[in-house]
Amino acid sequence: MLIGDCGSTWTKMLDTESGEFEIIQTRELVRRREIFFDAATGHSAKKRCRIFRNELISLAQGALSLVEEEDFSVVDAGGRDIKYVEFEKRKIKKLDWNLTCGSSTGTTIELLGNYYEVDFKTLRPSEKWINVTCGVFGMEKVLEHVSTGTEAEEAVAMFLHGMVRNVYDFTGRPDKLYLSGGFCENNCFLKTFESYCIVIPLGRMVPLEGLRVGDF
Amino acid sequence: MIPSGDSRLIGYYGFPLRRLLNSAREKFGPGLEMIDLDIDHGAPDSGLLPVTTCRIISNIMNNSVMLRSRLAVIVAAVGEGKCDRGRNISFLLQGLGLNVIESRFEEKEWEERELIYSSGRGTLSERIDRIMYSVIDPSPAPGVPEPCRPTHGFWGVPPNDYRVLDLFPETTHIYGWTRCVEAGRPSDMEMESYVDEGVPTVFFTQSFCAKQDLAHYLAEKYGGIEVDCHREINDSILAKVEAFIRLS
Repeated sequence: MLIGDCGSTWTKMLDTESGEFEIIQTRELVRRREIFFDAATGHSAKKRCRIFRNELISLAQGALSLVEEEDFSVVDAGGRDIKYVEFEKRKIKKLDWNLTCGSSTGTTIELLGNYYEVDFKTLRPSEKWINVTCGVFGMEKVLEHVSTGTEAEEAVAMFLHGMVRNVYDFTGRPDKLYLSGGFCENNCFLKTFESYCIVIPLGRMVPLEGLRVGDF
Repeated sequence: MIPSGDSRLIGYYGFPLRRLLNSAREKFGPGLEMIDLDIDHGAPDSGLLPVTTCRIISNIMNNSVMLRSRLAVIVAAVGEGKCDRGRNISFLLQGLGLNVIESRFEEKEWEERELIYSSGRGTLSERIDRIMYSVIDPSPAPGVPEPCRPTHGFWGVPPNDYRVLDLFPETTHIYGWTRCVEAGRPSDMEMESYVDEGVPTVFFTQSFCAKQDLAHYLAEKYGGIEVDCHREINDSILAKVEAFIRLS
């Protein structure tokens, strides 16, 4: 069975029989019209699959499969949005999906990183932050900082810090948080987050795991 | 549906007292169509209210302006059974020259009608429609739903966009203001804040509605989710409700 998590910028694909896993940019998925999933989740998946499962359900079921605790919270900070589920006794206590206020902040980080050639593995966290109300406003503030003398790396780290604060507030300021998505691979994001709470990265496979174990 | 042509109409919003609705019929013509102004009838934006206005209140204003030449009278709920904005809108509509009869549904006028649709089995949107129609015609309709045990709950007012209701199973009970309407006591705070404990409940309000205060409190208290929506329902709201219903 081919399952897919088709985000706005990245698509994760898993063949459950062979175990073959592939990550491609979603722009490539758009070109590869032959790809059709047995089951899929994500913004770009709706017309490319036999069974569509909404993103919050995939995230929740994936987290339940990967985390054994009774009470815990998981957040997926994606390219375009932020999704959050809190469990109590392994039942849904709260869930939320922020499309508008978290608008494209993840994608903007990627754009800024590419533009200023920032390596997020070695980027030092900043104690300062930029108020990131959305990707566009945040980017404008980064450009302003750089034009007035702030090092580009520092300005990008400030943007990242602003995004961490958004995610932390959005999730209700927990003591501990499981993280899903591409930011699990962003060292600066993780270190910045650790100044607020314990953060445990689960990787980019959580929604796929939710699809794998989900009942259809 | 608003009848086409230029026939005269009686408009109303919220849940006005039935005796005031009946007297409006008697005075302006028993045959006049009754139009619920809370509903989106496709009227253009009047431009008379701030953008941060609850969609239901905007609908009242937009519909009233669009239909102003046809409305013989508006019977307006302006008391605790509606909201302050209902009262303000009444003032504004009178300022526009519309004929408005104000209704305050006080405790001494409360009814005790059976909660047939709120606690019965059936398509949620159809049951909510039937409850809201009971404002102008409380006589029992054929095909009364069977009572059922609730697996889920919907708390709130009828949404501007009904698509969210399609996600609920037939065994969903109705709580909040809509339940109060069926009981004939729209200003009953105790009934409005009642839900069955342990039933996973979605607390729905329009954005910028004062009922968000109650929804937030009750969602925290009973472990439900709070959902608000301004105009049309978007994918993230649908996904939240779907996930909550499926996983709780």
